[in-house]
Amino acid sequence: MNRKPRRSFRQRLSEVLESLPFLAPLLVFLVILYGMLGWTLYVSMANWVGTAPNYEFAGLKWYQMMFRLDRFRVDMNNNVKWLAIGVLPTVALALFLAYMLEIGSVKRIEGYVRTLILYPVAMSFVVTGTIWSWMYQPDKGVLNTILRAVGLSELAGRYTTNPATATYWLILIFVWQYLGFAVIILQSSFRTTELQEMVEAAIVDGASKLRILFSVIVPNIRGGILILVSLLLISALKVFDIVYVVTFGGPGYSTDVLALFMFIATFQQHLVALGAGLGMIIFLMALVIVIPYTIYAFRKWFE
Amino acid sequence: MRTRDLSTKLIVLLVTLVLTGVYVLPIYVMVVTSLKTPVEISQRAYLIPTRNLQFQNYAEAFRLVYPSLINSSIISFAVTLLAAFFGGLGGYYLSRSRSPFVRVLFILVGVALYLPYQVILIPLVQFMAKTRMALTHMGLILSYLILNVPLASVLMGTFFLSIPRELEEAAQVDGANRLQLFFRVVSPISLPAYASTAIIVFTQVWNEFLLALTLSTPRTTTIQVKLAEVKGSFVALYNIQMASALIGVLIPLAFFLFLGRYFIRGVLAGALKG
Amino acid sequence: MKRVVLPVLLLLVLSLVLSACGPAQTPTAPPPVVTVVREQVVVTATPAPEPKKLEIFHWWTAGGEREAADAMFKAFKDKVPDVEIVENPVAGGGGVSHRVVLQARLSAGLPPDTWQTLGGAELKSYVDGGFLEPLDDLWAELNYAAVIPGPLAKAVTINGHPYVVPLNMHIQNILYYNKALFDELGLQPPTNYDELIAVAEAIKAAKPEMSPLALGTKEKWEAAFVFDSILLEVGGPAHYVQVYKGEVDVKNDPAYKEALQKLEALVPYIYPYHAGLTWDESCGLVVSGDAAMVLMGTWAIGYFQSRGWTPGKEFSAVTFPQKPERILLFHPDTYGLAKGAPHPQTTMEWLKVVASPELQIPTDVTQGGLFARIDIDPANFPDPIRQELQTYVRNNPDKLILDQHGSIAPFSFTQAYWDVIAAFIAQPNVDGTLSSVADLLTTYNVKAEAAWYQWP
Repeated sequence: MNRKPRRSFRQRLSEVLESLPFLAPLLVFLVILYGMLGWTLYVSMANWVGTAPNYEFAGLKWYQMMFRLDRFRVDMNNNVKWLAIGVLPTVALALFLAYMLEIGSVKRIEGYVRTLILYPVAMSFVVTGTIWSWMYQPDKGVLNTILRAVGLSELAGRYTTNPATATYWLILIFVWQYLGFAVIILQSSFRTTELQEMVEAAIVDGASKLRILFSVIVPNIRGGILILVSLLLISALKVFDIVYVVTFGGPGYSTDVLALFMFIATFQQHLVALGAGLGMIIFLMALVIVIPYTIYAFRKWFE
Repeated sequence: MRTRDLSTKLIVLLVTLVLTGVYVLPIYVMVVTSLKTPVEISQRAYLIPTRNLQFQNYAEAFRLVYPSLINSSIISFAVTLLAAFFGGLGGYYLSRSRSPFVRVLFILVGVALYLPYQVILIPLVQFMAKTRMALTHMGLILSYLILNVPLASVLMGTFFLSIPRELEEAAQVDGANRLQLFFRVVSPISLPAYASTAIIVFTQVWNEFLLALTLSTPRTTTIQVKLAEVKGSFVALYNIQMASALIGVLIPLAFFLFLGRYFIRGVLAGALKG
Repeated sequence: MKRVVLPVLLLLVLSLVLSACGPAQTPTAPPPVVTVVREQVVVTATPAPEPKKLEIFHWWTAGGEREAADAMFKAFKDKVPDVEIVENPVAGGGGVSHRVVLQARLSAGLPPDTWQTLGGAELKSYVDGGFLEPLDDLWAELNYAAVIPGPLAKAVTINGHPYVVPLNMHIQNILYYNKALFDELGLQPPTNYDELIAVAEAIKAAKPEMSPLALGTKEKWEAAFVFDSILLEVGGPAHYVQVYKGEVDVKNDPAYKEALQKLEALVPYIYPYHAGLTWDESCGLVVSGDAAMVLMGTWAIGYFQSRGWTPGKEFSAVTFPQKPERILLFHPDTYGLAKGAPHPQTTMEWLKVVASPELQIPTDVTQGGLFARIDIDPANFPDPIRQELQTYVRNNPDKLILDQHGSIAPFSFTQAYWDVIAAFIAQPNVDGTLSSVADLLTTYNVKAEAAWYQWP
């Protein structure tokens, strides 16, 4: 067991002291974060209803209530939709666009497209959500007005006012907003010297463009894709503003998500304990996402 | 790797056209709306431009959002700089140490990356209000740092992993300690990584709504909260809101365009190397 | 060169943080320790000198409401000239965001002096939390219970004590209609459900492009407004109160079921894309000719006027329903005194002004509600609609029942209930909704939580 020679106390002390300036800030914030997480867990098992804090222990009462609510079931469904449909198409679309800009474009077009799809990144969902709610309005909204003007009125849809499909239209806003960001990340990871050389070689070998994409590029930008997927997953799980601004969870609560319900339960319904419980469910979902990512990142990091 | 293939060029052109439509239309609607009168707004004819342009909407909007722009700038820049700085320190340690402690720490940091504010919102509000930090910019700055320092640590650490150790080893032979190594050798060549971290943190903080709303006081109201407020609850003043939004987007846009080059460079340097 | 970069960056960070905290902290005069202030409030005999300052939270931030807030503060400054008013206006229809910010401050023991709250369940949540001082002495001094309607006094009286001073009353169940259209088609404004269906049918026949009834359910409560009007007619006022007090077995209640079925029958006449619109946009449908009628509160009058419509000319209104009797569903806007308020004396001055006609007349005329005081002359209103309503309230003060916003049922229930009713209008399902509502009534313990409300 004792492979390393035992270090003296002084050596250890000086090592700790040396690492302290690096670790201290990060540790402080982690302690605050996990402390508050524990606090939330406790609140979720307390009897806090109304504005005044109440830490009287109530066990799993609020969780039992939560699992009975139909709204919670709808929320879980919608959150899964967000995670799946918000992330995968964005990555696929971004991959296609980034590749297209790399192989097939004129320099000026590339700059133009990048600026074009990047500007939403600088905007908040409070703004883009408002605009998209106008795009979607079925009677006088932008999209249907255009469709009718070009004689395609049968394509005019109900968008976010149809409970069955409303969430998908909300997710589309998310894809729209994050596409530019995704393209930038992927495009940058294309541009390593090794990869460029490999692509050149493949071209010389006469490989088709699609083959180059899937056999040469994708396997070599796994890191970039991983970072992109994880950033998108975080954003999709956190989604709150789009729903808050565009539908406020409606029609009824058909587009509600956990993050919005947490907000409504805590601040509108004054059921703070229930809100804390919903917060813990969001945390558990984050854990489920985080496990595969962390394993992968952990291996790469400490290889 | 550019092509001369005609069909590819056609596809590129087509895709570019479609993208133009999809991305110009919302900004067009935004600009047109910002120049309308309230009565025109309520007619909901979003596509139709107005004949008498209300440029004074912008003056009005600027008057309304100016204080919140200052607040947002103070908060976002402070969080960005501090998160990048602390993240650099933490990320460096994470990338250099191999002790079991650091492995546990890495997992804790990794989980923190995925947490939305809802998870700590209730205690955070209690804490900030009880310590009265909620009444100052400090409250929001500290709140944002809680989640952004772990994020910045991972982003920076990823970059540090890719820096060859030989540089540091050479300096170590010269007798430099860890801190000197970090500040004199590692950090100067990591500026692009700092830039990309800064962009990600800045846009997140600038556009954050939930926490800014929950902790808002008249002196710390951020632009996002203000944007929701100027719309009003009685008659929806979308013209003022959109003018305000266009003013409000200038700062992050400038930040993005300016640092965007560094961002690309940072990534080019291998931060994301598979 | 490179060695300089980081120390400089560090300095920059430090200076930025310092400059960030500096100016913000200085004006924040440390509020007195809470316990000391509590003593000041309780022991009224020896008032310590306090700065003439009032910290107030409200949600009248834009549109006509900002002007109403200004009128309110002007009335206060006329009475107390040297007072400094510190506002924390947080926008959001019906105070949605306002409550978020307020809750943070209250739960941390940092209350403002006074804040806007509706009567009923919202007020009760503040009283239950111990955040408000009872105002029995003030009410006795002003003899306020004698000058306002009995149901209004009851709506702000919890466990026998009045806790706030109401400054207005908003009426929920008003049906606004396009007057020119009704004249053109020779229609009489409907005052009960059957007439409503008949009128809607006539409009649909004459103007197929037009929705007979406008609606916007983005904020959900609008949906409950429509349902309440039907429920009030089908079950009568006593039944209405019982439903929201949780005393009715909704699942097996024929009246509640009938009301849902009638709402379902009304759905084809409702503007189909209601889920995307807020209340003001739904009123806009009437102005733009996309809809003929809208069921909305008194605050819609101000909206129509802002669109250039004059009451009695382009549009008119009736309360709905007027069968089996003409009941007005209402809620007040009110202000109270915070427990541990930093400036209790100034706040008491403020509350006296809130109770006075000098504040209520300019504020209410601007903002859109009725006067809380029924001794104010209804002729103070410029529009015939509110003149008539105020006169009716003056002569029949007992015909008022708390509405959705003033909520009889606890807030937790009401918010969830709106969602269910809004979902029903989007996709009617009578049996599913009956069991959902029954579920909510037990889940949120409505029967116990709403026991405080007494009507008549």
